[in-house]
Amino acid sequence: MNDDQGLATRLASDLDSHFEELVRTFQDRLYGFALRMLSSPQDAEEAAQDTFVRAYRALERYPDDRVSTLRLRPWLYQIALNVVRNRVRRPALTQVDIEYDLASQTRDEQPEGATVSNETFAELSTAITRLPERYATAVVLRHVQGLSYAEAAEILDQPVGTTKSDVHRGLRLLREALEPEFEPLLVGEHR
Amino acid sequence: MNERELMTALRGLADVRAPATVLEHVLDEVGLGDQYAELSSPLGPVFVAWNRLGVSAVMKTSTPQEFEERFAARFHRSPRRADDGLPPTLAEKFDLRSVTEFERAVLLKAREIPKGEVRTYAWIAAQIGHPAAVRAVGSALRKNPVPVLIPCHRVVRSDGHIGEYALGGSANKRTILAAEGVRPEAVADLARQWRAERAMVG
Repeated sequence: MNDDQGLATRLASDLDSHFEELVRTFQDRLYGFALRMLSSPQDAEEAAQDTFVRAYRALERYPDDRVSTLRLRPWLYQIALNVVRNRVRRPALTQVDIEYDLASQTRDEQPEGATVSNETFAELSTAITRLPERYATAVVLRHVQGLSYAEAAEILDQPVGTTKSDVHRGLRLLREALEPEFEPLLVGEHR
Repeated sequence: MNERELMTALRGLADVRAPATVLEHVLDEVGLGDQYAELSSPLGPVFVAWNRLGVSAVMKTSTPQEFEERFAARFHRSPRRADDGLPPTLAEKFDLRSVTEFERAVLLKAREIPKGEVRTYAWIAAQIGHPAAVRAVGSALRKNPVPVLIPCHRVVRSDGHIGEYALGGSANKRTILAAEGVRPEAVADLARQWRAERAMVG
């Protein structure tokens, strides 16, 4: 968090010289977030680009003291969330690409000690994009991106209790979706 | 799938890298991407790249492709060919993000040396408050991302040798100094003068 504060201060003093650092610092997270929400790498890439361009335009407008006190991470997630929501609403961008090279979206290396197959990653990834948006967002922020409930709630602009219950509900829907006997109808009915 | 397996699988989904094109497109979109053009110089045609911060690179390569490759290898960004030449408003500004604070101080000091004159590495070192850092001044000048425009060629060794040059070695350094009206003896004169001054101080 302190590093982010330092970066915010640098952005306030000289936006153009430090903007690239902002992109480099957050691009993997925000692209990852968009990829989980949109599923298509192409859409995720455009959403990530759009997020940073909007961030730049906002930083240009904000007074220096506002920039230097910005909490960059939640602020960028909020922009990304808006971008993602706008894309999901567009009919042309429905999940036609769901099967697109899912295996390559997951890394070859597994998290320590775990044995999760690429097939499971692919199923899980698809199941997330089929969740109702509020549950998908809550689960992705908390359990994929690893944010605290407090930060996720800040991004979603809702009480922590609401975020917690959305995460729990989302996890339950995911587990149901991943049980073979329910797949894939159960989550489908929520759309 | 139990809860623990689900959590592990969810965390695994976070392990992705943004494609390199994200940074490239964003910087382009906000005007921080690099463009380049071929410009003439006393050393013949050189490739000059710039972005909103100012001129970011001057390189002498035989083809635009070679320039693009060397630029990308050094700065980890991809320049694209400009439709027009270098905007006059940028000619006096430099993008020195790729160098350290010390190197920046060296380069900006070198910029103060008037055309037709030369100074020594030791002079720069003393001027920027690091009189012992003569070698470091030499290596900072070798890393000058914008030779010709920041005239690192006007800095020579204290022993009368012309020294190295970021843009193709000492032969090019002689050529560009000659084009600026510096006599070949001037470098040796400067060395003698420097030694005399040091002898007096010592």
